[in-house]
Amino acid sequence: MADDRLTRTFVELADTLVAGFDVVEFLHMLVDRCMELLAVSAAGLLLGDSHDQLQVMASSAENIHLLELFQLQNHDGPCLDCYLTGEPISHPDLSVAADRWPMFAPAATESGFRTVHAVPMRLRSQVIGALNLFHTEANALAPEVTQIGQALADVATIGLIQERALHHQHVLVDQLQTALDSRVIIEQAKGIIAERHGIDPGAAFTLMRVYARTHGQRLTEFAAAVIDGSTTTTKFFPSAPAATPGE
Amino acid sequence: MTEATRADRVWGVVTAHAEALGVPVSLRSLCQAAAARLPVSAVAVSIRSGRVVSEVLCASGSLSRELEELQLTVGEGPSLQVLVGGPSVLVGDLDCAEQQARWPLFVPAAVQAGARALFALPLRVGVIRVGVFILYADHPGQLPAEELAEAWVFAEFARRLVLDEQAGIGTPEGYPVDWLSDSRPEVHQATGMISVQLGVGIAEAFSRLRARAFTEGRPLSTVAAEVVARRRRFDPDHTAREGV
Repeated sequence: MADDRLTRTFVELADTLVAGFDVVEFLHMLVDRCMELLAVSAAGLLLGDSHDQLQVMASSAENIHLLELFQLQNHDGPCLDCYLTGEPISHPDLSVAADRWPMFAPAATESGFRTVHAVPMRLRSQVIGALNLFHTEANALAPEVTQIGQALADVATIGLIQERALHHQHVLVDQLQTALDSRVIIEQAKGIIAERHGIDPGAAFTLMRVYARTHGQRLTEFAAAVIDGSTTTTKFFPSAPAATPGE
Repeated sequence: MTEATRADRVWGVVTAHAEALGVPVSLRSLCQAAAARLPVSAVAVSIRSGRVVSEVLCASGSLSRELEELQLTVGEGPSLQVLVGGPSVLVGDLDCAEQQARWPLFVPAAVQAGARALFALPLRVGVIRVGVFILYADHPGQLPAEELAEAWVFAEFARRLVLDEQAGIGTPEGYPVDWLSDSRPEVHQATGMISVQLGVGIAEAFSRLRARAFTEGRPLSTVAAEVVARRRRFDPDHTAREGV
C-alpha cells in the first residue's frame, strides 16, 4: 500500500469536512476510497437507526444483491455482531460460515464473496454503525488492511457527528436520524431521474454526484431540488435519453 | 436481532397501553402511551393537511392540544417550524430569553400554560413532510439519550399510522413486521419513479405505492423492487379506475 496515497486520502477527507458538507456524498466518497486503498471487492457503510436496525448509508455499488447482503445482516452477519459487540468481526471463508451466520453466509457465498470484514463506527462507548468490506477471494484481508479500515470508519464517524455538532452537541440519535433521512431524499431523487431518463438508479446516482460536484452544490440539496421540480434534469443531463411520458 | 430491540420494547408499550384501554392501537393511544412512558406530560401529533399548515391529529391531554392550537393561532412555534421542513427542535428550558426571542408570541403563552420543555421530532420520509411528533414536559431538562431514542421510535410508529391513514390502509393489528421495509432504498427509488409515471408529487406517489402493496397483500419492498426492475409500471388511468 502506498503511504502517500493513504495520506492523500485522509487529507482529502479532512478537507471535505468543512461547513455545509453533504454527509451522503462524504460517506460515498469514503466508501470509494475504501475500494481503492484496501483493494476490496465491495464495501458498504451501515448506520444503526433509532430502532437499532442497520440501514445502508453508502455502498460501493447499487447492485441489488449487494444491498440485500447489507440488509440481511439485521438477522445475522458480521455487521450485526460488530454493531452489538463494538468489536471488529472477520471471517476468512464465508463458504464454511453457515453455522455462524445461517442467512448471511450462504447468501454472501452465492454472491461470490469469500472474505468478509466488519469494523465498528464507534463514538466513545456507543457503536453507531459498521463499515463492511468484502473480498471475492478467501483469506484476503491483511491485518494492516483492517487497521486502515478502522481508521476510515473513524473518519466516517467524525463526519457524521460533525455535520450538526454545532447545533446539537448532545444528541447523537438526532444526528443519525437526519443522516438517514438525507439518504432517503437521495433515493427518491434517483428514482425520478432514473424514470425520466430511462436509466437505472445506479447510473442516476452517478449523474447526480457528478452534477452536484461540478456545480459546487450539496448532493442532498440538489436531490431535493430535483424532487420539488425546481431543477429540471434534462438540462443537466442532455445526453441521457428522455423517457417518454407514461401511457 | 435475537434480543429485544428498542423497537420491540416501544411496540410492547404501545400495544399494552391499547390493550389496557380495550381499544385497537391508534394515534391517540400511541400518544397516551408515549406520555406515560417518557418523562413528559403531554404528547401530540400534528400534520399538514392540504393548504392548511397544520392540523392537530391527536393529543394525549388538554395541555398538548392547547399548545398545538396556540401555534396555529399565533402562527409560530416548534411544530410549525418542523412542519415547514425544519429539523428536530429540542428545547430543555423554554422559560428563557433565548426562546422568548425565538417565538415571542408562543413562548409566554406556553409557559403560562405550564410547559417548561418541549421536543418536536419531524415525521418525514425523505422530502415528504408527514407531520410532527411533539412532547411537552412541565419541568425543564433535556430528554436523556435513551429516552430521546425511544421518543424517535414512538415517532416512527406515529408516522406509520399517519401514512396508513393517508393511504386508506387500516390500522395494523399485530406487530407491523414489514415496517422495516419502509426504509429500504428500492422503496424510495420506486416512489420517485412512480411520481414521474403518474405525474404526481412524491407524497402522492408514496401513498399510491403503499396502498397498492396493501391491497395486493404483499410487502412494500417487493412491489417496490418490481417497479425499480421495470417489471411493473403505475399507469394513471389504471390507478384511477382502481380508485386507490
